[in-house]
Amino acid sequence: MMDIKKIRNDFPILNKKILNEKNLVYLDTAASAQKPQVVTDEINSFYLNHYANVSRGVHTLSVESTFKYEDARKKVQKFINAASEREVIFTKSATESINLIANSFAARHINEGDEIILSIMEHHSNIIPWFLIRDKYKCKILFANIDSDGNINEEHFKSLITEKTKLVSLTHLSNVFGTTINQSIIDLCNNAGIPILLDGCQSAAHIPIDVKALGCDFYVFSGHKLYAPTGIGVLYGKENIIDELPPYQGGGGMIADVSTDGATFTDLPAKFEAGTPPLVQAYGLGIAIDYINELGMSKISNYELELTNYALDKMQDFDFIDIHGENGVKHSIISFNLESIHSHEVSSYLDVEGIAIRAGHHCCQPLMKHMKLNSTARASFGIYNTREEVDIFINALKNCRDFFKK
Amino acid sequence: MNDLIKELYQEIILDHGQDPRNFGECNPYNKSADGHNPLCGDNLKLTFFVNHDDIIEDIKFTGEGCAISLASASLMTEKLKGLKISVAEEIFKDFSNLVSGSADDLNVLNEEDSLYALKGVGGFPMRVKCATMAWHAFKEALKN
Repeated sequence: MMDIKKIRNDFPILNKKILNEKNLVYLDTAASAQKPQVVTDEINSFYLNHYANVSRGVHTLSVESTFKYEDARKKVQKFINAASEREVIFTKSATESINLIANSFAARHINEGDEIILSIMEHHSNIIPWFLIRDKYKCKILFANIDSDGNINEEHFKSLITEKTKLVSLTHLSNVFGTTINQSIIDLCNNAGIPILLDGCQSAAHIPIDVKALGCDFYVFSGHKLYAPTGIGVLYGKENIIDELPPYQGGGGMIADVSTDGATFTDLPAKFEAGTPPLVQAYGLGIAIDYINELGMSKISNYELELTNYALDKMQDFDFIDIHGENGVKHSIISFNLESIHSHEVSSYLDVEGIAIRAGHHCCQPLMKHMKLNSTARASFGIYNTREEVDIFINALKNCRDFFKK
Repeated sequence: MNDLIKELYQEIILDHGQDPRNFGECNPYNKSADGHNPLCGDNLKLTFFVNHDDIIEDIKFTGEGCAISLASASLMTEKLKGLKISVAEEIFKDFSNLVSGSADDLNVLNEEDSLYALKGVGGFPMRVKCATMAWHAFKEALKN
């Protein structure tokens, strides 16, 4: 059992009153999670007691900082069950992780006429980096269709795979539907010998991650959706693939030797971490992972699934609520519309009731165009949300509909 | 019912949001521009005809958006039709102040104006772009 009351006490922001009177009901964790106090306290403590640059000096503070930074890497490695710390690269965001692998992978493996497969429901951060690669290397980007439940259409996906396919990059857990990718899609790629990247921005916070069991070649996620600070992202890459890729950016910390003629690069993972890294943020991510491990990722996942289903059941009672991908299994994310009421109206109405939801295209404009929607509203849950909050949310939806349909 | 919501969604806003006036495309027109709110994907196309005396003879818009953006575009077209460009630009300045919470800094608009109904947007900073999308398209069209 999860002690939600105790968990809520770990997040001081949950005591905030919106517009000085309404209790905050935070249903926008999919955009960014709130932070437990242990994370912010430890970050402060790092700056106040241990801070210096990493992997450079030999003085005591530099050693302490370096140790803490590398310790965070170990925690991430265990968290996603990577084979080695050499496979865990720190970036500033999941977006940077995808840009990194897109550029370094393309430099070695993408040629004119090659094909990269995405799906129609990808986040812009898993589309635009590939568009930039397409423009540079004159390759093609293909989009797999989805079915009405919000899952990738396997037949269509299969039909896109050819000998020209060089890479597949897909969301692990859709930020619009809350659905997870079918293992069969990953297996298809593995069997065809095509590297597959999973965008784990949503999955890392809601389901246990085992990159070895998944069979993905790359996995990216960000810290801020995982109760950690902003400014830290992770790229996992299979060692045998990333070891032979060229660096993404050049700078300090990633070289073996530099002369006026040129440079040789250092080993993994530092080869991909040019410049002073977001070391305190990485440390904060490690603390957030400790916090999650203490609660237990399986327990978190079960609790959130139960809460999501509770909300779905209630929402399905009202025919004025259109739930997108209604029959898919949803992890912590529900996108919906209230008949023809624009999602902005819904969000502003809920806001003054203290309820934070997302409204808009969710950085998924190709999907919105595919669904012929201008925008949707989205409620998403985290470890701190309760059934009482879901009830407040549902009640506000009813009132909102009455207000705009009077 | 929260007062902020009541002030944001006044009757006239809901009315113009559901039933926007001057919805369509001018024929002929000599000025046009697209408005776009990247935050949500809302968009509109504004067309108008300016005669030799610099007067906006006709002005219309098409597009999709929330009640605030549609109502704002609708009210804007009603207000600007028949006005000189220079007057319209003065109104734009006032309107920007009005919806960003500086209703005290008005020169040409007053409480009698229908545009004044959008004052409530000032309580919702993230909605200011919804209210100004049509106006920015207007400014953009003047540049073209």
